[in-house]
Amino acid sequence: MPTINQALVDEFRAKAEAVNAVVREAADLDAALQYVVETCEAKAPCEMLAEEADAEKGPLGPNGVPTRVKRIVAAPCLDDESYAKLSAACEARGFSCIRSGLRGHLAGIDVGFSVADLGVAASGTCMVNTDSEEGRLAGMIAEINVIALRKSEIYPHLPAIAEKLRARMGDGTPTYTTFITGPSRTADIERVAAVGVHGPLELHIILLEA
Amino acid sequence: MHSAPKNYSEYHKQLDEALEDKFLRNTLDTFAVAYRANRETIFKEVDERGLIAQIADAKDDACRHMEELYAQFKEQAEKRGVHVHRAATAEEANAIIARIARENDVKRVVKSKSMTAEEIQLNPYLEKEGLIVDETDLGEWIIQLRHEGPSHMVMPAIHLSRYQVAEDFTRETGVKQDAEDIQRLVKVARVQLRRKFIAADMGVSGCNFAIAENGAVSTVTNEGNARMVTTLPRVHVAIAGLDKLVPTLDVALTALQVLPRNATAQRLTSYVTLMDGAGECKANPDGRKIMHVVFVDNGRSEIARDPLFSQIFRCVRCGACANVCPVFRLVGGHKMGYIYIGAIGLILTYFFHGHDKAKVLCQNCVGCEACKSVCAGGIDLPRLIREIRSRLTAEEGNPLPMSLLSSVMKNRKLFHRLLKYAAFAQKPFTRGTQFQRHLPAMFLGKHSFKALPAIADKSFRDRWPALSPRVENPRYRVALFGGCAQDFVYPEQLEAAVKVLAAHGVAVDYPEAQTCCGLPLEMMGQRPTSKEVARQNVEAFSAGNYDAVITLCASCASHLKHSYPEILQGDPLIFKAQAFADKVTDFSSFVHDVLGLRPEDFNNTGEKTTYHAACHICRGLGVKEAPRALIADAADYVPCNEEEVCCGFGGTYSMKFPEISARLLEKKLDNIRETGASRVVMDCPGCVMQIRGGAEKQGLGVKVSHIAELLAENMKK
Ligand code: SF4
Repeated sequence: MPTINQALVDEFRAKAEAVNAVVREAADLDAALQYVVETCEAKAPCEMLAEEADAEKGPLGPNGVPTRVKRIVAAPCLDDESYAKLSAACEARGFSCIRSGLRGHLAGIDVGFSVADLGVAASGTCMVNTDSEEGRLAGMIAEINVIALRKSEIYPHLPAIAEKLRARMGDGTPTYTTFITGPSRTADIERVAAVGVHGPLELHIILLEA
Repeated sequence: MHSAPKNYSEYHKQLDEALEDKFLRNTLDTFAVAYRANRETIFKEVDERGLIAQIADAKDDACRHMEELYAQFKEQAEKRGVHVHRAATAEEANAIIARIARENDVKRVVKSKSMTAEEIQLNPYLEKEGLIVDETDLGEWIIQLRHEGPSHMVMPAIHLSRYQVAEDFTRETGVKQDAEDIQRLVKVARVQLRRKFIAADMGVSGCNFAIAENGAVSTVTNEGNARMVTTLPRVHVAIAGLDKLVPTLDVALTALQVLPRNATAQRLTSYVTLMDGAGECKANPDGRKIMHVVFVDNGRSEIARDPLFSQIFRCVRCGACANVCPVFRLVGGHKMGYIYIGAIGLILTYFFHGHDKAKVLCQNCVGCEACKSVCAGGIDLPRLIREIRSRLTAEEGNPLPMSLLSSVMKNRKLFHRLLKYAAFAQKPFTRGTQFQRHLPAMFLGKHSFKALPAIADKSFRDRWPALSPRVENPRYRVALFGGCAQDFVYPEQLEAAVKVLAAHGVAVDYPEAQTCCGLPLEMMGQRPTSKEVARQNVEAFSAGNYDAVITLCASCASHLKHSYPEILQGDPLIFKAQAFADKVTDFSSFVHDVLGLRPEDFNNTGEKTTYHAACHICRGLGVKEAPRALIADAADYVPCNEEEVCCGFGGTYSMKFPEISARLLEKKLDNIRETGASRVVMDCPGCVMQIRGGAEKQGLGVKVSHIAELLAENMKK
């Protein structure tokens, strides 16, 4: 049984919330998947930022572009068993659940789900293995990015993860690692803070007990 | 797009324009204040000084091993399917990138932020090749639409208002955009740029760290555009200066604890990516990214070999040196660098863009050291700027007035005779006051913002024989270093100090052979003369076996203490210079820390007194507590807003850039006025000159004095 350091969990939570991440707790991965589906249900329809031939389009969204009618949840990096559960739950609600072909939906999807390798308490950061292109896109083109993070995998600060990272990057095969700290943001116009300039409008982190 | 002033008159015109830009002034003002506070808060969680020292050491080491790191990076990256190039010049780098585009049949390019790409002027080059290039960082995109260059390394569009942005977006989209709704304006970029990401064949990114141990490049962004740029297109080109090479992940992770904190007061940016190797890319038939890393030299190997300037390699491009620069705050980035902005911008302009572009820009540093105190790499930026001025002088030769000045300054007796003559010659203008009241305004022009001080009738050195106190069984034996301003303009400040010291059992000596400390000469790029006066001073004090060398001038103190051992490196006098420097102590620290004066030593008058922390006392010497405690001992200390911000004097700076000096002074006086104090004290006669001159001109009704005068007046007999 991996150990959980509650002080690190608390710090992680505080720092992630400080940068507008929504932080929730769940008993296990199944509960997190349930959260994904509920989040998708509750959100406003996804705006389609570009043309997508086969997609059914709804009324214009707040930014003057059409909205997507059939909601899309992407979870490219889930194991087969969990993916099957998520897929079934999505189907039950009329969403489509995908694990590949994200390039076909670059106009935007509703929810992208990933599981973090680890977290960094000092900044409320999730480190995500984004070697696969589909996994990378899920966290980029979704309006809401949901990341599950095991509480036992939270480290105090960046230097503390150097060895883990080194091991991951050391074997000569290409890797792509992403540290995520809050949603996409900018302050480029008059230094006014705004979220969602390119990537997700919202970041939700689900802290898993196991 | 980018311009550098060729001469002073052109530059003064540009500065005037910037100073008239109300929006810019307000924005940068608000930013400066907010940044300072936010930075302080966010650094409380980490060991700021420790981390900065670690970065400095690691980057110095990387600089020394640049060639090995390059070879290692290349080997590791190639093993992972990446093509690694090295360009000696900007031209070569552009040609390599254009060739990559041609070979891969690229039509459209998307870019994420890269200062190195700005440096080599990549966009115009690629556009000439017929490519469509789109910036995807919001700020960069805005300035691209306006055909401007960035005015800040991290916030490239900070000089623009929402109205300007709304206009540009209206033009770009053909739809009227509402300027009042910034959130919506940001989403305009979301929609427009998503389409460009999708259509692009090649992505060009910058690189914050090139990690040799595994051939990884990294990007650091808040918007997430670099993730898109490096993921969607078939081809990825990362541009990295050779200075971005670091040996290990650990170095990058350490620097990442400082870079975002320093740049935008964030713990970490929203996204940091690490890419080692040509990873998966489904847009290519073989499912692999076509990935190139182009290292740019463009003068960097020359910098790496320079014993002094190699510290430039520590720069992580956080922009903090601009954020805290009082001159940047007034005139903005377009007037404070060619492509790179702020203190580091002045320096890099000299190395990357030619001495010609740097020669006027490099003069616009007031020397307040605010940048040095926040630099993520602990770079001694003010020193490097002074050094560049010296080099420019050496390269270009001295204009006649400078040659004259130099020969006068080398001869102390002549210099002092001239000053005494000036005391006599000014008589018609002073009418016995401390100001040169009656200089016709037309002679003053832009300099009329403050009353100019008069040279004292009798210099301190001439008063000394009659003044020199006898102290029986002294606790300490010290020598006083007067400095020109106090010796010849404000001798009463030195007299006050002598009174305080003698009353507390300190035997004081005033070595007659001392002369100007040489800082003004350094600021004017007169290195050979500044060395000469340094030698004279070291010799002048070497005879007496003093416990300390006391000075009341923070600028002299910081120069004597820190610069002498540097500029006399390799000189036969270096050991004496070091011993001398070790003894140099500012008046407040000596009185407070060494003599241990406390409230019981003073009659506290309760006079409301505020403080101006001279740049060279609070940053130059790191003295913060002693003067404030002493004021509170002798009077009612009321803190002043922006107490540690430069008053705009900067020695010769106020003569060279009076328009900027005047605005800095204006701010200082406003802040002093707001305290409601009837007196302001400081540890520097230069600041007294500036602030007293301004107070006099404005009729501020606040007494301006050196802290020694306050203490002498209120000392218990
Ligand atoms: S010189 Fe220092 S403060 Fe300026 S950008 Fe570079 S690291 Fe930041």
